[in-house]
Amino acid sequence: MEALKPYIPYLIPVIFIQLGLMVFALVDLVRRERTKGPKWMWAIIIVAVNIIGPVVYLLAGKDES
Amino acid sequence: MMTALTKEWLEQRRTHRLLIVCLILLLFGLLSPLLAKFTPEIIKMVPGGEQISQVIPPPTIADAVVQYLKNLTQFGLLLAVLMGMGMVSQEKDKGTAAMMLAKPLGRTAFILAKAAAMGASFLIGTALAAAAGYYYTLLLFEALPAGGWLALNGLLLIYFSVYAALTLLASTLNRSVLGSGVTAVGFVILLALIEMIPAAGKLLTGGLLGWAGNLALGSAEAPAWGALWVCLGLIAAALTASVLVFRRQEI
Amino acid sequence: MSAIRIEALTKSFGKFRALDGLSLTVEGGAVFGFLGPNGAGKTTTLRILTGLAHADSGGAWVEGLEVGKSAEISSRIGYLPEEPAFYPWMTGIETLDTMGQVHRIEKAERRRRVDEMLEMAGLTEAGKRRVGGYSRGMRQRLGLAQALIHRPQVLLLDEPASALDPAGRKDVLGMIEGLRGQCTVFMSTHILADVERICDTVAIIDRGKLVANARRADLIARYAIPMLALEADDVDRLNKLATEVSQMGWAHAVAIEGRRLTVTVKDLAAAQRELLAQAVAAGLVVTHYEQVKPSLEDVFLRIVENGKESRQL
Repeated sequence: MEALKPYIPYLIPVIFIQLGLMVFALVDLVRRERTKGPKWMWAIIIVAVNIIGPVVYLLAGKDES
Repeated sequence: MMTALTKEWLEQRRTHRLLIVCLILLLFGLLSPLLAKFTPEIIKMVPGGEQISQVIPPPTIADAVVQYLKNLTQFGLLLAVLMGMGMVSQEKDKGTAAMMLAKPLGRTAFILAKAAAMGASFLIGTALAAAAGYYYTLLLFEALPAGGWLALNGLLLIYFSVYAALTLLASTLNRSVLGSGVTAVGFVILLALIEMIPAAGKLLTGGLLGWAGNLALGSAEAPAWGALWVCLGLIAAALTASVLVFRRQEI
Repeated sequence: MSAIRIEALTKSFGKFRALDGLSLTVEGGAVFGFLGPNGAGKTTTLRILTGLAHADSGGAWVEGLEVGKSAEISSRIGYLPEEPAFYPWMTGIETLDTMGQVHRIEKAERRRRVDEMLEMAGLTEAGKRRVGGYSRGMRQRLGLAQALIHRPQVLLLDEPASALDPAGRKDVLGMIEGLRGQCTVFMSTHILADVERICDTVAIIDRGKLVANARRADLIARYAIPMLALEADDVDRLNKLATEVSQMGWAHAVAIEGRRLTVTVKDLAAAQRELLAQAVAAGLVVTHYEQVKPSLEDVFLRIVENGKESRQL
């Protein structure tokens, strides 16, 4: 683990993107009136399934009309 | 055609499709070299991993390229299916296609504009991933040959386009988004099964990716021109089939 | 040249015959009501005219151009489907502008037309908002606006007011009525009141076949059964009169509703001569007497009922 310490700062943009995506998906979920399937289910998916969760919600979970 | 393109491109931006493709591909462009670097250390932390890590050689630039290809193909494939599956079927299902196509807008333009818009999103996303991957590999390992790296990403874009085009065909064949998704996954599985035949595998995306990996490391080994042509042919065939099917369809 | 000509159109979905040899002509400039019960084939006809669906056999012409053969038709028609759908991520202005672009209207003219259409549809304020948040009535008005953006010669409307509340329906019908003289309007509906309000010519279809086609007034004159009604306070005597009248040669059927007696008649002239006289002879004080004007609904029911009987035979 010690050997990797100097590389930790490289992770910052990665974590930033992951969290940003999750927050973006959650904000969209809260604001949206209708989704395909229950909202609580999407909330769990977005938070629990790293990266794929927010992506699946944003591309396939929204009900636009 | 320009009108259809303008509309599709606006849709890519407004529905956050462009943003998502860019973020995800960028993310794995950054993450892949990091994972290559960290993997031996992570194995060490797993109970009993100490012994295994003794026999693992220290990570090299080749591991970074392998990680990059593995992650981007997986997530690119996922994005292609998720983005493409609703493109035509949802418009048929919701009735927007009927609104547009009762007007002087050709059905061929309608389909090709979608393909072009999705291709443009992947082009920008791949460019970001390539830049990020190049930079992090440089920082963590060493410089990649620029020409070879460019070639790898070009081939990667073709890989994405194969699945985007197949998903677009799936979306044209179906009326529901779910049905399109199932058909698209069916195409993916079918292609994966064909790849398991050794002779055919060389001529499909597997051969393409092997070649891409070599090119990125500056090696001219195992060029897969055959696979390149087959993949380009697949894209053309899927788009042609979509257009032909769509032209005869009742909307 | 007629605006729309349909000849022997057939279309089946599996075993169901949606259109069964439909033939129809719509004259230019008419506000044409295309009437029929649900499932009669109205939507299918409109979808064939727009080129979205294909007929099994027969042909259709719009402004003299054959459907399916001439791409020019899509520039001549404006189409509003029963449930107009829009891209929810576009604003109202963007929607109309995109539709204008598809019709290759050049930029300055397009901007002008978009403004005009928004105003006509009462959406000037809402134009900057995303369509995803529009109400049903707003979507219907936007749908009419997008169908008219390129000044079509023929406007095809599928149940334009059927799903709306009374206020929304009044708005949309008013907009359609305002088009009289500007273009031919071909509107399908199953609501007779709407047809009576704005259409000058009517066709009735049932089970994919044309059962009547005439000017609205002619249709009523031809198919409606003449009816007389009188009202009186003395219910006992009214009942007695009803029995007497039902035996007369000129009477078809007699009905009593409270203090109102209605007689459908076979011979109007004879009935008009004799009904009142009989009422007076029966000792009734008639408080109200009229010849009932038949509505399109009566005509419609009669034609559709006849169709059922003749099929059963």
